[in-house]
Amino acid sequence: MNINKYPEIKPGVKYIKKIYIAVMLFIVGRAMQAASRIDKTIKKEFEDLPDGFTFSLGILPNGPYMIVGKNEKGKVKYMGWNPAGKKLDLKMGIKNMEVAFLVFSFQESTTVAFAHDRFIVDGDLTNALAIVRVLDLVEVYLLPKIITKLAVKRYPKWSELSPVRKHINRILIYVRTFTV
Amino acid sequence: MILPSYYEFCCRVKTISGQKALEKIPGALARMNSFRPMIITDKGVSGAGLIKLVSGAVGKKVKIGAIYDDVPADSDYKVVNAIAKIYRSKGCDSIIVVGGGSPIDTAKGVNILVSLGGNNLLDYCGSGSVKQKLKPLIAVPTTSGTGSEMTLVAVIADKDRNIKMAFPSYFLLPDIAVLDPRMTKTLPPFLTAPTGMDAFTHACEAYIGLAKNPLSDTSALQAIQLVSQNLLKVVKNPNDLNGRLALANASALAGLSFSNSMVGLVHNLGHATGGVCHVPHGACMSIFLPYGLEYNFHKVGDLIGDLLYPIAGAEVFAETPKKARPEKAVACIRQLNQDLHDATGGRHFRNLKEITDRSGKQLVPKETLPLIAKTAIGDGSKVYNTEEITYDDALMVLEHAYEGIPLNRKLIKKGGKGQKF
Repeated sequence: MNINKYPEIKPGVKYIKKIYIAVMLFIVGRAMQAASRIDKTIKKEFEDLPDGFTFSLGILPNGPYMIVGKNEKGKVKYMGWNPAGKKLDLKMGIKNMEVAFLVFSFQESTTVAFAHDRFIVDGDLTNALAIVRVLDLVEVYLLPKIITKLAVKRYPKWSELSPVRKHINRILIYVRTFTV
Repeated sequence: MILPSYYEFCCRVKTISGQKALEKIPGALARMNSFRPMIITDKGVSGAGLIKLVSGAVGKKVKIGAIYDDVPADSDYKVVNAIAKIYRSKGCDSIIVVGGGSPIDTAKGVNILVSLGGNNLLDYCGSGSVKQKLKPLIAVPTTSGTGSEMTLVAVIADKDRNIKMAFPSYFLLPDIAVLDPRMTKTLPPFLTAPTGMDAFTHACEAYIGLAKNPLSDTSALQAIQLVSQNLLKVVKNPNDLNGRLALANASALAGLSFSNSMVGLVHNLGHATGGVCHVPHGACMSIFLPYGLEYNFHKVGDLIGDLLYPIAGAEVFAETPKKARPEKAVACIRQLNQDLHDATGGRHFRNLKEITDRSGKQLVPKETLPLIAKTAIGDGSKVYNTEEITYDDALMVLEHAYEGIPLNRKLIKKGGKGQKF
């Protein structure tokens, strides 16, 4: 029997999509750190999480990932892209690169992605929902309304987030994301 | 019918339904190479003599390793840990769970520990934790409501933190569900009513939920019809065995449906109210169902209108204009709650204010509503509701449900009309 007739199929790598998602995760991770110092709602969400809480959001099985957590002083920090060696309390994963690209290019809203069973959550669901609320707000700050509306179930009403507050916070978050 | 762009559906529970279905259990166990099952149940079930019935049907051919009959009303992770120890010390190789939602969820939790190892269920929190086949599990429901015999989730409380945790995994689906009307015959009317409404709620929420699909829709509509046609009849005549079997099937169908399309606001608030105030799940479902539908009118009004057909029948559906069907469906559900309230001598609750325990103590004081709302936004069901649910939204609905008044829909913050599936 010629064993070479039965070749092993190795998974391919979609470099462009992977780079796009890695950049998006980097920006979102840094923005979470920045927003936790600027937006009161996000700050409160993180305060309610346990001390030292750390989570990852990434694409299964091989990344990219973003790691965000609270340090010993309770400050939220973007902790890079590599989960190796880190103690993670919550792991949120999107099942594969194609699906992740649909979500990160806003072709499929986060809501529909959940309904389509695209996510795997390993850890306390209550904490995962807090992170989802933070991610929704970060998207509101980072992206124009027309795009954010594709990603979230309900864009915040004026009573929940005034346009003035939104625009000021948006500028501050962008500045901190790319500088501090 | 809505065909989503993508969906997943799974049901691999063998269902044995009918008179004398219990007698099939020994053969079913043998086919799974199991010969020493542990029976898990609660005091109410064993007190009603149902364990004798099961032991009589099973015990002639199979040696029962142990019987645990002290599962509390709200399945608790500490009880799960304790039962797992007994299972191991008695050398059992499978589980037969006899009971309602709490024993079945507890048994699923026990199955995680005895199959995967460990002494603490909290180590398996989260949706990705259970990744392999567990020990054989046979579910014999004694209430027609939870549908746990067909679901992939175990809802287990952490009483220290006042929350209910969901453990979802396809591996938590029982291997076999046995629907025998003898098991629900002794359920008193005041419990038959809310458990039936629980099944009804599962089916309604499954039909409007974000993960709905044609397969879950089919079973949801059948379940709604079976409950609509049989629940009041059985509450008025508890010995109606055909009606009992119909409700048991409705519960299984609804469980199958919502297990694949998930649930929304009604369960979100129900889990939170149950967690904070220890209110029976079925009572919460009966009360919150009309509100859960009203809250989503602007997103899935047409789908709620569809529910009128199985709820009220072809004639009422045909004579109601399309625009009025959602309102009519909700009105029919409120009427059903009222009829059940009357048929049970007021023991079926219509609003949160009315809920009392056996001593007559009010279980949901108004001052607990903010805590319930806070707990609700940490419950996973909110993800699958078509409209966003924030703390303020949850509190607004709770205040209406407390008084038992229809939802003031002007207060709903709408995130657009319609819903893409």
